[in-house]
Amino acid sequence: MSQSIKINDKNYPIDVDGDMPLLWFLRDRLELTGTKFGCGMGMCGACTVHLDGQAVRSCVMPVSALVGKTITTIEGLSETGDHPLQKAWLANKVPQCGYCQAGQIMNAASFLATNKTPSSDDIDSAMQGNICRCGTYQRIKQAVSDAADEMYKEA
Amino acid sequence: MTTSNHNSFGTPEPAQQNTVTNQSRRKFLKQTGLVTGGLVLGISLPQTTIAGFKMGEDSTFNPNAFIHIADNGDTLIYCGRCEMGQGISTALPAAVADELEADWTRVSIKQGEGNEAKYGPQATGGSASIRVMYIPMREAGAAAKVMLVAAAAKVWGISAQECMAENHYVINKNNQQKLSYGDLASLAANQPVPESVILKEKKDFKYIGKDIARHNQGDIVVGKLTYGVDTKMPGLKYAAMTHCPVLGGKLKSVDKTAAMQVKGVLDVIEIPRFEVPFGTLGGVAVVADNTWTAQQALKKLKIEWDLGANQSYDTKAYKAQLVKNVESPAQLVAERGDITKAFAEAEHVIKATYTGGHLSHAPMEPNASVVWVQNDSCEVWAATQSPGDIQKVLAQYLEREPKDIHVNVTMAGGAFGRKFKCDYVHEAAVLSKAVNAPVQLTWSREEDMRTGYYHSINAQHIEAAMDKNGNVTGWLHRAAFPAIASLFDPSLDRAPASNLGDVDNHPFFIANYRSETGEAKAHTRIGWYRAVYAIFYGFAFGSAADELAHKTKKDTVSLLNSIYDNNKNSAQAEQVTRSKGALAMAAEKSNWANREQLPSNQGLGIAVHFSFNSYVAMAVRVEVNGDDIKVLEVDAIVDCGQVLNLDSATAQMEGAIVMGMSLSLRTEVVFREGAVVNSNFHNYPVLRINEMPQVNVHFVENDFKPTGLGEPGLGPFAPALANAVFAASGKRYRDLPFKPMSM
Repeated sequence: MSQSIKINDKNYPIDVDGDMPLLWFLRDRLELTGTKFGCGMGMCGACTVHLDGQAVRSCVMPVSALVGKTITTIEGLSETGDHPLQKAWLANKVPQCGYCQAGQIMNAASFLATNKTPSSDDIDSAMQGNICRCGTYQRIKQAVSDAADEMYKEA
Repeated sequence: MTTSNHNSFGTPEPAQQNTVTNQSRRKFLKQTGLVTGGLVLGISLPQTTIAGFKMGEDSTFNPNAFIHIADNGDTLIYCGRCEMGQGISTALPAAVADELEADWTRVSIKQGEGNEAKYGPQATGGSASIRVMYIPMREAGAAAKVMLVAAAAKVWGISAQECMAENHYVINKNNQQKLSYGDLASLAANQPVPESVILKEKKDFKYIGKDIARHNQGDIVVGKLTYGVDTKMPGLKYAAMTHCPVLGGKLKSVDKTAAMQVKGVLDVIEIPRFEVPFGTLGGVAVVADNTWTAQQALKKLKIEWDLGANQSYDTKAYKAQLVKNVESPAQLVAERGDITKAFAEAEHVIKATYTGGHLSHAPMEPNASVVWVQNDSCEVWAATQSPGDIQKVLAQYLEREPKDIHVNVTMAGGAFGRKFKCDYVHEAAVLSKAVNAPVQLTWSREEDMRTGYYHSINAQHIEAAMDKNGNVTGWLHRAAFPAIASLFDPSLDRAPASNLGDVDNHPFFIANYRSETGEAKAHTRIGWYRAVYAIFYGFAFGSAADELAHKTKKDTVSLLNSIYDNNKNSAQAEQVTRSKGALAMAAEKSNWANREQLPSNQGLGIAVHFSFNSYVAMAVRVEVNGDDIKVLEVDAIVDCGQVLNLDSATAQMEGAIVMGMSLSLRTEVVFREGAVVNSNFHNYPVLRINEMPQVNVHFVENDFKPTGLGEPGLGPFAPALANAVFAASGKRYRDLPFKPMSM
């Protein structure tokens, strides 16, 4: 039995060179294209996915290091596409070209899992690794803040 | 990329009911002599005129099937212009839907394939989509509505005047009976296309000018929207490529041995330069069974280049030379009045030289496409701003007809002018032909950075004269920059006179005036970059006005107003009024009058610029501590006439400010020994979220026709920022970017 990675609740055998970054395993092998290629050096955040719930840059993450790990991509963030961040992104009409937004949302989801009351500075420092060349930052900040309110509003 | 709409206004209609009284839908259709199924209204507009839009005006325009209404009422609207995040594929279909009186929740939007005969001009640049297509798209919707109304009138045996269209129904005004657009679709198809149509009045607009969510955002947030880089198909091969680092260089030799031994590599292919505009620069590519393998194998190639004539290009030395070229007499472009007399009689004179570096578009999606060349067909899937240019270039390369190149236009993950040029698509075609399979070529970020079509490096020298009454009476404007025209004529040694048209016809229109173009031969490919020359023209005009105001102890807003008031060119009366209007609103929104009350390390700067037929004024507030510049707040005032989609128009302005901050503060492409030094985002540091200021966008309400908005936000930003920094610190930045990285 070959080694495998669990991606969005499904197990996939690693049938590629172990040095292949997860990004390209997702995109070219599994054809899960929601995760984007932006820089190839972990500097732009377009390729952000969750590794055991933590945001990581899949372009610099060799698949051999992920045996038995659990990966979540934008396609698996929410079965119905209604994660509070996705809803907040739509309510704030965030995306322009949208290419970086899967990475932005995945990064924000990991961040909000540990910070329930993010300040403006918290959002800045958590989201600084994700570039948006269209310039949607003002709306991203608002959407992250709105999603935090939605996720952690008092019961 | 058919997607459904997220309607952001009003409540959706309840599920469609058959509204023909006492009749089943089936009966209705039978009674009217129609069979069921697959009934489509295809509006074919005649090729002559619809309400005054003539073929050959602006470009060849042959309106055709923008609208499809199915017999269940589902309505598909095509967008012929390319979508790269600017929102055009929502704004134009919404204009169609408004005139069509369509229910927006019933509308899907599809990107048209490359076909200018069918969709009109598709080259998407120059902030022109709305300017060019606003009326034709509305006419297409209005014509369809007229035909639906005529069909209903015929059913009821009444006149069209006794009917009205509303929200996907035609209503009989006599008895309030309704027929749905779905039920009318096939009947409408048999109605004559009207020769002219009456368009709606502004007060009746339902979608135009409203805040509408862009139609593809739902797919974006779940990762479903596909871009040029995302095309998949059976048998697809993947490629990576490297180019000669110096323009005009050639491949001397390549040792492919090590690369060919990498598992998964199919071939290593040399691509010669194809000397047509937007053809490949030439280089070496690896084709493999996945992109990563191709990228790894590419690194194992041992390549020797013959670097050619541009191998000593050095931007630091070149910029210094441009400065010399504009600080001494250059070639005359335009002259009016008596500039010598104006300067001789001046009370005050300022002289200043402004410069700027090359820029790379750096869209988040690098250049990527799939091309499949077969003996009898050629199909392309590309993120592009100009499918027509892909057709032209591939037709030349394959020696086929442009119409035989089928271009599927995908969403572009940003473009900013880069994806107007299809060198990367041409390369994929070469590779597909070589390996006889569909090939996806994805450029690395490094290739994107190093093989660009760069924004012009530039220098401008301005001398301004003010008389003893405080009037600006003389203006000398000398510019030197390698021009885009050099792509088409490499022998050009300076920007052609026409490139200074926006300077000569600037709304300042100072009475005694002279413009000159200085020597500036291109040593790399120069291309359209969002806002193009407005970036540096805006910087020079806006900075020089502020410098003159400070020197003469005037308020910059008052000085600008006095310059505009002195514009005696009656042909520019509208430009003057609208420039002043935007400026006044910027002063008001930013509390300009009370700027002295800001903390001592803060400053407010203001500028206004007219470009792409739109007027944008900006007021920028900064805090400066030592060398550290923090942009706190920007008020952007936009006069683009009628706004189509308030939301995407606002987003364009927010985006222009972010791009303006990148290019004002830090980004610059540096050449040394003929090649680009930058390689990725660590040494091309575009703005990140932690530097995002508060941005407030305000639109001037008026009844002017709509004008461009993708680009006009860039012109006023850099000067407003420079002026703000000066106000805060007394330090004047005249070179873009203000704080370049040391490379």
